[in-house]
Order: sequence, then C-alpha cells, then structure tokens
Amino acid sequence: MRPCRILLLLSLPWAGAQGQGRDDGQWTMPGKNYASTRYSTLTAITAANVARLRPVWSFSTGVLGGHEGQPLVVDGTMYVVTPFPNVLYAFDLAQEGYPLKWKYRPDVSATSVGIACCDAINRGAFYTGGKIVYNLLDGHTVAVDAVTGKELWKTQIADMSRGETTPMAPFVVKDRVIVGPSGGEFGIHGWAKALDLATGRLIWTAYNAGPDSAVLAGAAFKPFYDKGPELALKTWEGDAWQTGGVPVWGWLSYDPELDLLYFGTGNAAPYNAEQRPGDNKWASSVLARRPEDGALVWAYQFTPHENWDYDANAEMILVDLTIQGRLRKTLVHFDKNGFAYTLDRVTGEVLVAEPFTTVTWAKRVDRASGRPVVDTTRLTGASRGNVRDICPSLEGGKTPVAPAAYSPRTGLFYVATNNLCMDFEASAAAHIAGTPYIGASTPYHAGPGGHMGAFIAWDARVGRKVWEIREPYPVWSGSVATAGDVVFYGTLDGWFKAADARSGKVLWKFKVGSGVVGCPITYRGPDGKQYVAIYAGIGGDWFLLSGDVRSDDPADVRPPADFAPNLARHTSQGGIVWIFGL
Amino acid sequence: MPPAVRSDAHVFAGGVAPPAGTLSNPFAGDRQAAGDGERIFRAMNCDGCHGGGALGWEGPSLVDGRWRYGGGDGEVFHSIYYGRPRGMPAYGGILETDGIWKIVTYLRAQPVPQDVPTEQWTP
Repeated sequence: MRPCRILLLLSLPWAGAQGQGRDDGQWTMPGKNYASTRYSTLTAITAANVARLRPVWSFSTGVLGGHEGQPLVVDGTMYVVTPFPNVLYAFDLAQEGYPLKWKYRPDVSATSVGIACCDAINRGAFYTGGKIVYNLLDGHTVAVDAVTGKELWKTQIADMSRGETTPMAPFVVKDRVIVGPSGGEFGIHGWAKALDLATGRLIWTAYNAGPDSAVLAGAAFKPFYDKGPELALKTWEGDAWQTGGVPVWGWLSYDPELDLLYFGTGNAAPYNAEQRPGDNKWASSVLARRPEDGALVWAYQFTPHENWDYDANAEMILVDLTIQGRLRKTLVHFDKNGFAYTLDRVTGEVLVAEPFTTVTWAKRVDRASGRPVVDTTRLTGASRGNVRDICPSLEGGKTPVAPAAYSPRTGLFYVATNNLCMDFEASAAAHIAGTPYIGASTPYHAGPGGHMGAFIAWDARVGRKVWEIREPYPVWSGSVATAGDVVFYGTLDGWFKAADARSGKVLWKFKVGSGVVGCPITYRGPDGKQYVAIYAGIGGDWFLLSGDVRSDDPADVRPPADFAPNLARHTSQGGIVWIFGL
Repeated sequence: MPPAVRSDAHVFAGGVAPPAGTLSNPFAGDRQAAGDGERIFRAMNCDGCHGGGALGWEGPSLVDGRWRYGGGDGEVFHSIYYGRPRGMPAYGGILETDGIWKIVTYLRAQPVPQDVPTEQWTP
C-alpha cells in the first residue's frame, strides 16, 4: 500500500492554499482550498461583463430539503449531494445537456430526518485521490469511486439513539477523513473523528469536552489565554460535559506549513445555561488539532458559558494579513455571537475582535483576557424569566451555514449576515436520550433598521465594515469571490446576485426558483469557459421558522413566521442546481 | 400492550375492513388532564421537535387538524407509544399509558386555526 499512499499525497491540492497560486479551474473541496477562502483566480467573468450572465442549465434534484453546501467540479464532472436521502449525482460537463454519468443512491435511515435538529440538510462532499467522500444524515461516512460511482467503503461514525446526525461535509487532510456530528440540541457528547481515507477505518476520536485524555489535550496543548490541566472538565459542573452538546457541524480548514487543522465547535446543551455552570470549554470555540493523531495544540473560546446558542461552527479562513504593520498568519472567523475575530493562527491570540452586526449581549472583547465583556442584564437562565432584546438572535449575526469568501485582490471578506434579535425565556430541560435537550423559547424580531439581513464586505485587518447590501430577509447563502472582482451570493427570497467586489454595487440578479441556502462556486468547464453554479432550495432553519414554505405535506400546514410573514409569498421549497455562464 | 389499531382513512381491499382492537381515551374532554398533558408534552421534550404549542418545528404541527398517521385517539396514542418513521421516538418504554393519554387530551383540546389553509397576500 505504500506507493499508493505516496500517490495520494502527491494528488492533494497543496498549492494555492490561500487562493493566490495557480487555479486549475476545478472545485474539489467545500471551501475551494485548505484555507477556505472560496476565492477563484478565474477572470473571464468580470464586473464589466457579469450583467450578461445567463442561465445555461438547471436540474431538479428531486429532493425538497434545504440545499446547503456546494457542488464539486473535478475532471469535467460535477458532483452534487442532495439533502436526505443523500443521493450523489455525477454530471458529465463535457456532453450537451450535462447528462448523468451515474447516480448513487445510498441506504439511509429515515429516522435521521427527525433526529436532525433543523431540516434534513447536507453540506456537501470532498474530492481527493479519486474518491468522493461525504456523510449520510444517519451517522455514516461513505467513499464513492469518482469515476464509477461504486461505493468503496461505508463507516458508521455517529449514533442516532444519542441524538447524533451527520450533515457536515467531511474534510480530508493527508490520508485522514475528518468528520463530526450535529446534535447540540440533543445533548450529545461532541467529538471529531478521523477515518482512514483508504479503508474508512476509525483512526482517532477527539472529544470537545471532558477529561484531557478524551479531549486529547496532552503535552502539545498550549492555549494562549487558559492555563492548567483538565480545562474541558473543570469548566463544567459534575458530569454536565457528558450531555453538554458541543457538536462539529461546520467547516474545517488546514494550514499545511503549521500542520494544524482548525474547526469550530457548537453550542453547549441545554440552552438553559443554569443547568451547566462554568465556562463549558470547549463549547463555542475554535480548536487547532494535529490531523495525524488529533492532538489538541491550542483552543480559544469565543463565548465562555455560552447563554444564547452561539455556536462557533462557522468557517475559519486562513490568510496572512498585515495587522498594525506586522504580517501575521491569521485565522478570520465570523461568529454567531456577532463579533468578527482575527486570530493569530499559530497561537490562538486575538488580534482583532469587532462587531459586524448589532450586538447587545456583550460590550466588547477584552484583548488582554480574550474574553467578551458581557452585559449581565442579557444573561439568560430559567430563573431569569424572559430576557428581552438580545442581539444577535440565535440564528447568529452570521449563520455558520453561509461561509464567507476572501479576495486577496481587494483584501476584503464577503459575508452573509443577519439582522435579527431575540427574546430568550429559558426553562428546565430533562435529558432523555434520543429526544431534544433545549429548554428555551426564543422569538425573533428584526434588528435596527428593520431589514433582516445584509451582504457585507469586511476588512479583517482593522475590523471594519467597508460596504453592505441590505436585504429584506436574513442572508443564508455562502459566497464566492473571483479575480474578476465579482462576488456572488443568494437570498432567501430566491435571488442569485452578483456584486462589484470593490463597491458593493449589485450588477446582476436572477430568480432561481427557491430561496438560496447553498454556497456558490465557479469553475472552468471542459469548453474552457468560466461558469458559476448555485443550489436553489430553501430549508435548514427556514424549514422550521417558516413552515409555510413547504407544500408537500397536506398533514402539516403551518402559519407563517410572525417576524417574516411574507417569505412564503416569494419562495417555497425546491431543489435545483443552476449553472450560469456568459 | 395496546391493541392493534385500524385506520379508517386507509382503503380496505375488497371493501372489507380487517378486524382490529379499539382504544378509547379515559381522559377525553378532561381539562385538568389536558393541563397535565401540556406539562408532560414539555417535560418529555415533545416541544423540541413539534414546537412550542405543538405548532410545528422539525416535526409536523399537531394543532392544524391534519394528521399523517391518523387523528383518531387510538392512532395518536399509537404514534406516541410506538413512534413513527422519520424520527418520532417511541415513548411507550418510558411513559405510563395515562401520561400518553394526557398528551393526547392536551392535543385534542387545542383549537384548530381556521385561517391556515389559505394564505393571502393581496387585498
């Protein structure tokens, strides 16, 4: 097997880790590259000609769940993973009409639909070494031959009876397939696992809370702010860590020079924070681990004693930025808690932390301690009754569902944001395995200005918003930035838009048939032309919040969301892959 | 063990109904039992999937007058006791039958909104 392993290593896309190197026009992993910049060096589509963009192809996936994530494009083939039941399509981009090469239909347990907290979504696949690797919702990871569509291996990684499901996109480093569970609303004991790319065999499991031996916090562990042993045990009371949530459902990044894998962790469970006194490490944190053995190298907690369901599963974008005159290896993260963080990705030190949307739960982030200065009147808990006007809402100042993009040409980050606030009334919750473990009622309202979302450009060197495009609804779409100085994003009411990366002027838009919660990509087709692809298919949290966007079940008719009563006027569920070109 | 319950919404092949048991709610119409049922609904985390007030969340609305698996008392009891596909847990192993009937009584006590089937955006 040795020569085979060397071949795999050579095939990995090391080059262009920050999107500045050679671009082969493909899209092989969720964030485009290991740095997760979602930046393409393709230049055929520009701010000057994007107004001529037109749809060249569309395809119904036949599935109505929220179409999060993104397609992949490899060797003239587009790969699309659907929401449950997680069909994998392989489209031949070299043929007229892009007919299917094959279609893989896995056996997925329907039980997963109700164990997943928030619609039966999937966030996409990862291509490497001739394999398409992705997760089935019911707690399995599969590897499929990218040429034949044959299943190569299937490994159970999660346990639905404990509330674990697996909609996240795996991330492959060297020969390690890194996966994690959802279940922050089910009181899971969150973890990350590494599987062997060749066989699917489990190599390591690293928990996000609990004793150092389970968290894999050994001699290598040197957090910048926190000191001492057993941090992820002592910051919980009793055995609360065993049902404390801390899922891994977002995006991962990797720095090959530092050999560090970065990912965010989700909320602490239950939402009633009085049932889990302490900082609850490492909930709502970023963890830096060695991919080889999972060893924890550093960790930083964005929201200690998380009170508001502020998951930190959003992407960690790895770029080198000049901060106060000094070039730093940074990690940029837009947290649900409303702050944008620029960290030193070598150490975990906070370099910049500024709000990118309305924030009322904290006044600022203290640079000396790395901790937020919390407004104690916004703390929640069953004894505190209904705590009003907390911003952002638990949907986040930015949802982790919608990863940002970074353009090295403009030096700016392009970010889907929400302008929602909430009231939060907590109540005691009982942990019953396999059922939700929440304990809160959290109605939403629009933040200042009345618009519920905005697509913004952000300068992470200083922590400043450069421009914004206001949207009537929360912006739930990922984005892509290109060397043509165009950025793309979608809206919940079903528009796919292109904007000038420098000015924020909307240059083009098209109604795609359903609200957008997916992530756009751009690629060079076999004909040499540049294309842009996006999923339409509203869902995810919007399946829950605006239950009137569904029309497929006569036994489930719900009133509209009180804070967004008109959303269903503009969209209903769908599942469409769109491709646009000049 | 509850008896097998027949759904009268199903088509009977040949027009002949198969034999089945019957289940009747011992708390039907009992307001105190409905209040107990609301508390059990929250304590058992039913609201985590079906939403506060059972208005619908990841799981369907239970107060819209529509039922996937039949809306008779016995059918709703069966749904809670044995669970259903697509993630409805089986509560029969941890809940006494009286507790399940009180949840059924709570759901039955909720008014069915009259304006749900038609959403209108123009005057």
